[in-house]
Formats: sequence, C-alpha cells, structure tokens
Amino acid sequence: MRAAFSKALVAAAQANERILLLTGDHGYALFDEFRDLCPKQYVNGGIAEQNLVGVAAGLAKCGFYPVVYALSSFIPVRVLEQIKLDLCSEELPVLFIGDGAGVVYSTLGISHQSTEDIAVLRALPHMRILSPADHYEMKAAMELAFQTPAPVYLRMGKSDLGSIHATQPRLEWGRLLPIHSGNGDVVFIATGPLLNLAVTLAREWPGSALWSAPSLKPLQPESVVAACKQHRYVITLEEHNIIGGLGGAVAEILSQEHPLPLCRLGVSDRFSELCGSYSYLMKEHGLDVESTRTKIAAFIQKHSFSK
Amino acid sequence: MAYQGSTVHIACAFSLVEILAVLYRQHLKLGFGPKDPQRDYLILSKGHGVMAQYACLHELGWLSEKQIKNYCSEATELKGLAEASVPGLEVNSGSLGHGLSVGTGLAYGLLRLGSKQRVYAIVGDGECNEGAIWEALLFAAHFRLANLLVIVDANGYQAMGSTAEVMNMASLENKFAAFGFEVRTIDGHDEALLDRTITNLWASSFAGPRAIIARTVKGKGVSFMEGSNLWHYTRLTEKTYQAALSELSQSDTSTSAPVEPGVDS
Repeated sequence: MRAAFSKALVAAAQANERILLLTGDHGYALFDEFRDLCPKQYVNGGIAEQNLVGVAAGLAKCGFYPVVYALSSFIPVRVLEQIKLDLCSEELPVLFIGDGAGVVYSTLGISHQSTEDIAVLRALPHMRILSPADHYEMKAAMELAFQTPAPVYLRMGKSDLGSIHATQPRLEWGRLLPIHSGNGDVVFIATGPLLNLAVTLAREWPGSALWSAPSLKPLQPESVVAACKQHRYVITLEEHNIIGGLGGAVAEILSQEHPLPLCRLGVSDRFSELCGSYSYLMKEHGLDVESTRTKIAAFIQKHSFSK
Repeated sequence: MAYQGSTVHIACAFSLVEILAVLYRQHLKLGFGPKDPQRDYLILSKGHGVMAQYACLHELGWLSEKQIKNYCSEATELKGLAEASVPGLEVNSGSLGHGLSVGTGLAYGLLRLGSKQRVYAIVGDGECNEGAIWEALLFAAHFRLANLLVIVDANGYQAMGSTAEVMNMASLENKFAAFGFEVRTIDGHDEALLDRTITNLWASSFAGPRAIIARTVKGKGVSFMEGSNLWHYTRLTEKTYQAALSELSQSDTSTSAPVEPGVDS
C-alpha cells in the first residue's frame, strides 16, 4: 500500500511539475523514489507544521499543487486552524497525507496515534476525506485526489494487512464500494485497515453484505441507504473514535433517511493506555475478532428482542 | 467607518496608515487589479488593522463608498477582521500568525517560478508572540526568499497592555537579524524614510529576506488615542468621533494618511 502511494505520487509529480511534496521532516524511506526521480519537487520545511501548511496555502495561491505529508497525529490536529483558514476557506487545491493513522504507532503512545482526525476534518467546509483500505484503493484514491483541485485529506493507516479487492475498483466521491453482497440481516460498512477485520466478521454472519467506505467526505446518503435498506442491522468499523468518524457519518444519514439499528465499532472515546504490538493495541481497544464478534452478537440479540 | 460600524481596533489601524500609504503609492505593482496574477502581494498578517487597508482599497476604487459606509453592518462584505474574500486582501488573518506563513509560501512559489513579483507582509509586534511567525522566519531565511519584505508594525502595544509588560519581545531587530534577515529599524510614520528604506533594501545585493521594524504609535494622529491602549477595544461615541475627526482634519496632510479613516462615514 505504501509502495502504491509512492508510485502514484511519483507518477503524478512527473506528469505535473507544479506538484510539490512538502514534508515536515518526516517520511524516511517512503520518499526515496520521489527524491530520486523528482528531487526539485521535494521540499522539507523542517519540524514546523503550522508554517508548512501556511506555505502550502501560499504555493497553492500562485499555481502550485502542494502535497503535504505528515503523521496524521500532527496534520490535521496540530494545524487544524491553518487548514481551516488558510486553505479550506478558499477551497485551495492541496492534498494532505496523514500517515500512521489510528494506532499504527502502537509502541510510541498517544502523541503519535490519531483517532480524531476524521471527526475534526469532517466539520470543515470544502474538506474531502479519503481512507483507502488496500493498495488498489490507494492507487484509485490518489488518482481521484489529483483529479480534484480542492482540499483533500488522505488517511493512510495500517498498510500491510493485505488486499481487499481483486482488481482496482472504480472510486467515486461519496460512493461506498461493494466487497460482497448478501441477503442476510447484517450489513457491514468498514473503512481503511478495518476492512480486513470486517471481512473476517462477515464470514461469521452468513448472508451478510460488506461495503468499503474509501470516501468519508463527501459520503452520499443515497449510497449509504442503498447499501443498508435490505438489511436489519448495520455494523460500522473504523480505527477511529466512534464519535464523528464513519460510524458518526452513517448514523447522521440513517437517522434522517432510513432509521435502522446501527452498531458503531471503533475506538470508544478513550486514549490508549498501554503500549505493545499493533494487534495488542487493537485488542486493548476491543477491535480484535473476538471482542467485536461478542459486541455484534449482543447488539443483534438486543435489537431482535426489542422487535 | 469605525464610528458607523461601532467597531474596535481603531488604534491598531492608525499605527500602520503611513506604511500602507507608502506601499500602495510607491512600491506595490498591482497590474490590472486585485486578481492580476502578475501583481505584487501585500499580506496584512495583523488582520485587525484592516480598516486602514479598506481605506486604501477604497482609494484604489476596489471598494465602493457604499461598502465603506456599510462596514460591519447587517449582511455586508467588510468584516471587522481581514478576509481574503475582499478584493485586495490576500489572506484570512483575523487569527494571528497565519498571514506571514502564507506570504512566505507565495514568495517561495514566485521564486520557483522565476517571477520578479514581490511579497510584502505586515505583522504586528504583538503578533510576534505567535510561534508560527518564527517558523515562517526560519523558512524564509533558509530558502533565501530575497523577494520577501516583512514589515513589523511595532506600536509597542498588544491587546492587554504594552508588549514589554505582556510578553517582552526585547530587540526585534536583533531577533530578525539572528534569523537571517537584512533589517532596518525606522520611524514607521515617516513616509519619506519608509519609501527610501524600502527602495534601499530592495537595491541591496543581500541574498535573503528583508525586514523593517517600523516604530509606530498606536492610535497615531489622535492625541487621546496615542499611547492609550484603551483604544484597542474602545468604540467611538459621537463626542470622541467628532474630536478625532477635528484633530485628523487639522493635521498636516503631507505626513498623515492619504485617506483619513472616519471621514468616509
């Protein structure tokens, strides 16, 4: 997935010399290829994210297309006001890459983890949010972003969990992507790395449908309703707070357009307490197979009794 | 304008009138108008001084008499703080520490394009409390932005008191020089000196960014506002408005603003 990102970025930059990669002294080996092939388009602005985002706005104003790379724990949260005032308010073309989203940096602690980035950006007018699940979605997301001269945030989470799709899907703003259909009671909608968990869980509820949500904003109500209306229970999964992310967005749509019992699985409005491997931390947040299976079963039971 | 709109930040605008006058009159290449891609950029990073710039934009014909008269009234464009939606304003700078970074990005982009366009950024001395200002200065010096001139409207005050009391900036000239700027400290109300200093700074062969520390008086031109920080947040009454007008109309037009804020209303 990271290779797909690097390849897509290099291809875009080679085709358009106005694309500049701005980094706040991050990226390490990720940009080796870019620095080799597009050295003049690589700008390291130092460990100064506020200025970096302001500089991106200035560059966008005079005709450049800045790609601003940082860990998602720093961009957007540390520079939310710069994103709001310097870029979003004027709908300037910029692509933010938020790397290590969720709890990827599982041993580094809460400073390097981000489970609020989708929520804060969803509330900014003109902001668009992409959250690819595998390398196919990553390539499609990068292509879509570069076709869209507007503020775009691309959330890059745990990237080595394998493929979800068999071929590159056609990605459109606001549309859910079908992974598999089903006529059962349950529909799963997941985003980013949690597609992987969703694939496993969906097997446990035969007949369930599974959708990927690579475009979190915009998220078209008709696409969400179409995915949910033939089912009785909706389960969302994300490596993000259950407040304001995918689950929040789906809740906003369904409550208004097509009310259904919705179980939001994600980080339960808490910070990580301990450190360890990625899978340890997912377990701490109740996002392992066993915990989520139990929560879903209890949720379905509760709502089937109330019928 | 300030009286009609019953707004604050009057003294903050008065301190930079001469700076704006000299820039608009003698230095800014504005081309065919506010959207000319070949224009020089004037970034008012201390967006609470915007009334002074509205007056200039009115003189340029970019803002109408009606817009000026309706400043801050119901459903109108001219807000109390600078926003880029107004022709001639380049950034949203009501929140401090933003404009200089955007101006720095513009200067960097223009240099990359091989353009001769220049970027002028006006920051407040109080605004220099913001960390983002110093991040921008590092970037400007590191990338040798010789097309950037930062002018500090150093009126010695910020919202709650003098800069010395609130957050002592000590020598701004030393700080800017230490960051790699070519710096001059001058009287920010002396138009001839401002003009000459700007010309000389551009003529210098220095390969980096330039700065002027403009020593100014907050509330300049109105005796009861000068040196009284109350006028950061005080609104005009009928009485203070008339008193200010009469002082401004008596002052020597060769050293005061080409546009007298307040006259329009």
